[in-house]
Amino acid sequence: MIGLPVAIRLALAAARELQNGEVCFVGIGNPSDAALLAKHSRAPELTLIFESGVVGSNPISKPPLSTGSPSVAEKATMITDGLAVFSELQAGRIDVGLLSAAQVDLFGNLNSTVIGSYNQPKIRMVGSGGAHDIACLVKRLIILMPHDPRRFLEKVDFITSPGLSDRRSDLKLPPGPVSLITERARFSFESGTAALSATMPGYSEEDAVEGLSWKVKKTPDFASIEKFGKKELEAARSCLQYLFN
Amino acid sequence: MDKSAEISDLVEEHVNDGDTIFVGGFGHCVPFALCFEIIRQGKRDLTLCRSGTDILFDIMIGAGVASKVIFGYLGNPGIGLGHAFRRAVEAGTLTYEDWTNMSMILRFEAARQGIPFLPARILQLGDIANASIPGTIEVKTIDCPYTSEKLACIPALKPDVALVHAHQSDRSGNVQLIGVDGDMFTGALASEKILVTVERFVDTARITRLPEATRIPAYRTTAVAAVPWGAHPSYVEGVYGRDDDQYFAYDREARNVEGLEDYLRRWIYNCANHSAYLNAVGKKRLNVLEEQASRREIG
Repeated sequence: MIGLPVAIRLALAAARELQNGEVCFVGIGNPSDAALLAKHSRAPELTLIFESGVVGSNPISKPPLSTGSPSVAEKATMITDGLAVFSELQAGRIDVGLLSAAQVDLFGNLNSTVIGSYNQPKIRMVGSGGAHDIACLVKRLIILMPHDPRRFLEKVDFITSPGLSDRRSDLKLPPGPVSLITERARFSFESGTAALSATMPGYSEEDAVEGLSWKVKKTPDFASIEKFGKKELEAARSCLQYLFN
Repeated sequence: MDKSAEISDLVEEHVNDGDTIFVGGFGHCVPFALCFEIIRQGKRDLTLCRSGTDILFDIMIGAGVASKVIFGYLGNPGIGLGHAFRRAVEAGTLTYEDWTNMSMILRFEAARQGIPFLPARILQLGDIANASIPGTIEVKTIDCPYTSEKLACIPALKPDVALVHAHQSDRSGNVQLIGVDGDMFTGALASEKILVTVERFVDTARITRLPEATRIPAYRTTAVAAVPWGAHPSYVEGVYGRDDDQYFAYDREARNVEGLEDYLRRWIYNCANHSAYLNAVGKKRLNVLEEQASRREIG
């Protein structure tokens, strides 16, 4: 298991968060890898929606670089526009969203805008895209991050996409992040901050938090996640072939 | 009315220095030929806007035609940062507004509907619209007069000019497209003028065979030019595939100023027009992309 590339292990771990029959709003990269893998293993009835307005997507021929790339549209069951799919999101019709970012903090806030200060950035990044909108509006938010301690902060430099917040219920927004998945572990946000709820196959509790500045509690239901099955690994080999190269 | 024209005339007659420009193309049908012509003609002080941008925004920033950008995402999709954008922000030489893809679409939708704002639940948490961080956008809120819910007022954005590339049009400007739309027609129909390039002109009889594919009606089109391959290196559904290699090449070359200048010379300044650009890309490459096109067909 440890021999697999990080991106594959991350996708395998995150795919476990998706249930058959759900409607899933997907970003490019680790999120689309995980959603595609789920659809081709444990959740064949997963509906993939991209912000470009593509519904029922199945980008199996080539990993898409853009949410508007040819493979996103290729086997889709519906092509509408961005307004329509963001409307579905705001109306609470989308079950789950997957996001990644440059930085994450203990409350599940995500940063994809700047490293450093907003006005004098060390590195200016790409900005929100649809990430802020998904983080605010989706019923269940899953965060995917490779285990890179520099990217796990007490407080992100800039909150592009909001995590947990006391103000969410007043604003009639859904609760926000439910889990943070790395290739080593699953963290749950149920208790109000990220808490270690599971380790991935082949990793110990020490591995799960190695190098993190976070003071991480364990959830009462903490467990080791069972090994990935033959079907999941086969799907990873066929759907995510490009990550093996 | 015949609205057909040459691409150089579209830009010369209808794009003015200082204009706010909506750049169409959400990954699909990105109007590269039109924007390269804008760069060749040396337009200045443009404000560029859209939700999720393509490398075309970064190229226009690098070429010095844009003084301001209003966007949801600005980078090289799936590959990395917008290098020219990053340098300009870090040097303080560019004005910019960070929005989100949904809020940009709502800004255009409000303008399309001719109303001053649309209410939404986004942009009330986080730092994108945070009054205590100077330089971030200001978004006012409202208490719903019916339910008292707190909502963000997403202000209308009405561009002076929209740039669109599509599959086909008749000479009067009924513009047809299939495939990914994103915010292309929300943004176009929000704009005062709409400039269009198409892969080909067709007769109006052909338009009426599939009027569902018409996305811009003739009365809204300002002018239209036939420019085959006008979206390269992006793609046109059923006509040619996306030239992903070009996006990777731009990522490598635009990492420093000299590399970006080489890129601009090779693909824009050293090409007198779009035909010269296609010669520079080469017949062989174009044939490969043509073979990669999906089998879907517009009527």
